[in-house]
Amino acid sequence: MTLGGGTNLVPALQTRSLIAGYEPDMPIVRGVDLSVLKGELVVLLGPNGAGKSTFVKAIAGLVPIHSGTVHLDGQDITAVPVHNKIRRGLAFVPQTENIFATMSIYENLLLAAAMAPKSERERRISTLFERFPDLASRPSRLAGQLSGGQRQMLAVARALIVHPSILILDEPSAGLSPKIVAEVFTMLQDINKSGVTIILVEQNVRAALAIADRAIILVEGKLRHEGSAATLADDPIVAKLYLGASATRKAGVS
Amino acid sequence: MNPQFLVDGLIAGSMIGLGAIGITLTYSILRFANFAHGEFLSWGAYIALALSGALGFLFSALKTPVGPFSFGWSLPLAGILAILLTGMLALLLDAILFGRLRAQRGAVIIMVMASFGASLALRSVLEFIFTSKPAYYTKALQIAVNIGGGLRVTPDQMLALALTAVVVFAIHLLLTRTGIGRSMRAVSENPALAGVVGIDVRMVIRAVWIVGAGLACIAGVMAGLLVQIRPYLGHDLLLPLFAAAILGGIGSVPGAMLAGLIVGLSEAAAVQLIGAEWRAAISFVILVAVLLIRPRGLFGRQA
Amino acid sequence: MILDLLAYGAFFLTMALTYAIMCLGLNVQWGQTGLFNVGIAGFVAIGAYASALLTTPETAGRIGGFGLPIAAGWFGGALVAGVVAYLIGALTIRLRADYLAIATFGVAVAVQLCVLNLEALTGGAFGIGFIPRPFAELAGNPLAFGLSNAGLLIAVVALLYMALEHLVRSPWGRVLRAIREDEAAAQALGKNPTRFRLQAFTIGGAIMGLAGAAQAHFIGFIAPDNYMPILTFQVWAMLIVGGSGNNRGAILGAVLVWGIWASSAAAVSTFFAPEQQARAASLQIVMIGVGLCLILLLRPRGILGEVRNVSRHIRKIMKSDDAELASRFLSKD
Repeated sequence: MTLGGGTNLVPALQTRSLIAGYEPDMPIVRGVDLSVLKGELVVLLGPNGAGKSTFVKAIAGLVPIHSGTVHLDGQDITAVPVHNKIRRGLAFVPQTENIFATMSIYENLLLAAAMAPKSERERRISTLFERFPDLASRPSRLAGQLSGGQRQMLAVARALIVHPSILILDEPSAGLSPKIVAEVFTMLQDINKSGVTIILVEQNVRAALAIADRAIILVEGKLRHEGSAATLADDPIVAKLYLGASATRKAGVS
Repeated sequence: MNPQFLVDGLIAGSMIGLGAIGITLTYSILRFANFAHGEFLSWGAYIALALSGALGFLFSALKTPVGPFSFGWSLPLAGILAILLTGMLALLLDAILFGRLRAQRGAVIIMVMASFGASLALRSVLEFIFTSKPAYYTKALQIAVNIGGGLRVTPDQMLALALTAVVVFAIHLLLTRTGIGRSMRAVSENPALAGVVGIDVRMVIRAVWIVGAGLACIAGVMAGLLVQIRPYLGHDLLLPLFAAAILGGIGSVPGAMLAGLIVGLSEAAAVQLIGAEWRAAISFVILVAVLLIRPRGLFGRQA
Repeated sequence: MILDLLAYGAFFLTMALTYAIMCLGLNVQWGQTGLFNVGIAGFVAIGAYASALLTTPETAGRIGGFGLPIAAGWFGGALVAGVVAYLIGALTIRLRADYLAIATFGVAVAVQLCVLNLEALTGGAFGIGFIPRPFAELAGNPLAFGLSNAGLLIAVVALLYMALEHLVRSPWGRVLRAIREDEAAAQALGKNPTRFRLQAFTIGGAIMGLAGAAQAHFIGFIAPDNYMPILTFQVWAMLIVGGSGNNRGAILGAVLVWGIWASSAAAVSTFFAPEQQARAASLQIVMIGVGLCLILLLRPRGILGEVRNVSRHIRKIMKSDDAELASRFLSKD
């Protein structure tokens, strides 16, 4: 229980003993306790199949939660249906198919803007276009014709239009060239600086640690390690145990 | 060939098109071929029959034919109520059957099967209440007007064509210009993402049932007015509806309407060329041809 | 009296077993493979008419009537229905699951239209009579006639059952179930799902044709009315009640549902005045429709259900290594 003025003590997002998975008898996330503070940029790492993606999907309401709770700004949102979570200020950007390919850029934004007051929608869209000039050049273009990087921009822009307090992204760098990845990560850093809490699932360990405040490592559906991004990046044991997979594989290839 | 087939074909095509729009919408959003959709046409026609009869009984002035048409005000009034009630019927069916199956996250084909069972039950309920004897909204005869080129059209038929054009235009505006229409297209493309974006998918599903069943009701009342009302009215139109929805491309409203007209015109042409008894085979031939040559239809996404 | 009852019992059992054959055919398509056939009546009609054409004596004003032995008719009926099933399957199986359903629905409509209108071949609305009946020489003695026919059908169903059980356990059957449970995994194992599905659909269609032929020869007379959509429903109800995927269930379901159907039809004709019978009969159909939906909602595995070994296998995979990936792979959206 926090009284007035203590809002900083309430985590922006908190999960308690979260167990989740597609099938009732097969939990993939097996009891995760996580607290993310306001304004933090947290990166979620772990080997393939560790349950990172399922974990954030469960928070967003896309994967059934078997037990445990999710709190957003101190309010229990465990049972809130997926479409209402965004109204509470939780925005999610899925890894793939995160835009409506058969609709124009403008329509994609308008769909998300629908929950803002009618008078404000156009203004919010034009504000976003200022922030993402790439999208503004031809708003009537079909989203399906955009490049990978532009799609990611559109997906993020769509998530921002509702002025979320927390933004969760599932591997936004997947399938993008290193140059574009750098652009996307710079953009995320800017968004984070403007006051939005960010949780980022990533395979791109080095790049993610470079912008994150804190890193969480999931293994087999459980939280195995957490620490500041800087210490984790330098910790040889952690790197070998949990991040090594990608590093050694890269080394093996080159 | 007698050009009169154009009129017959356009009339039949209008009904098929309206029904096919409903099929294509429910298919693209609920993701299953609804074999009970034909029953919405029959139920719409019979609900309008019962209501129009009741209205005519209560206020006999409503029975007097309006202008050049064969029916009094009781039919359009009953028709509007019937659209709402047919929508309610679809919602009820979703609440007690399809919604529960969705919640069980079963295979799509279970939904198809359930719709198959529902169609049987719905049709036989109509047969039970109204018997299989054909019924009519009105006994008044109409004189066809010569509109040039040897074509003869009754005022009722002209009204049906005009009404179809208005309704299709309205649906087009609904889908492209309104929030609920955009939401429908979004759910049709990607239901999971639609939820993430803040669209209440359950509400969209309800809207789609109402729109689909409402259009089916309009088509059913037209069929009842221009031909006759029978419990098998919808069942016999089901294959043409599916053929049109697939020919137009699943999910495409203009495609379904255009394909409906194509199916209707082909049927009318076949009646003249081969004989009326083969009319029902045309849809099957069209269906097979589409699946063979271009399974995704005229305007559809990949099948 | 007892002899009459026994004769009726034999008659009932023989009819029920012809449905059991249809049900076994559907089980190959739906139960083993997950292919939805809404045109069962069409395939049954094809078998019946093909067999009738092959075996009836030559008739003035009608093409066909080759006077061949009954066995040749049965074989021909199964063959023609199998060919039609193959063609429809080749057209639609690679597409979405519901396209096959729509196409088979079209087959039923088209077949109904053909038997009605190709009068020179099918006798039109009057149908074909004088179809040779097995053990016709015993027709003077209803009991002997009934029992020998029932015996014949029991033998056919038993043979078919053993053949299908053998298929189910063969590598072919295992691949089919693997495909039904998880197409992508089966594909990864190098199995071409389309080919296996097409084979199953063809075999199922041929069995339905055989059922149509057997029924036509038992009754001795066929007409388009026998092959209305309601027949498709009945067979579906039989399989669902018995439990899809289970051959014994398919047979049991057929006998059970046919029993309910026949006795409720008898009740309708006993307890309702002739002018009310049509109405009562439509209520009977409402029951079947509602019953089908209720079973789907409440007991989707049917009465006997299926021994599910494949899913257990998949579960094992999921527990062992990449649970999340496997699950994402299998999630139904």
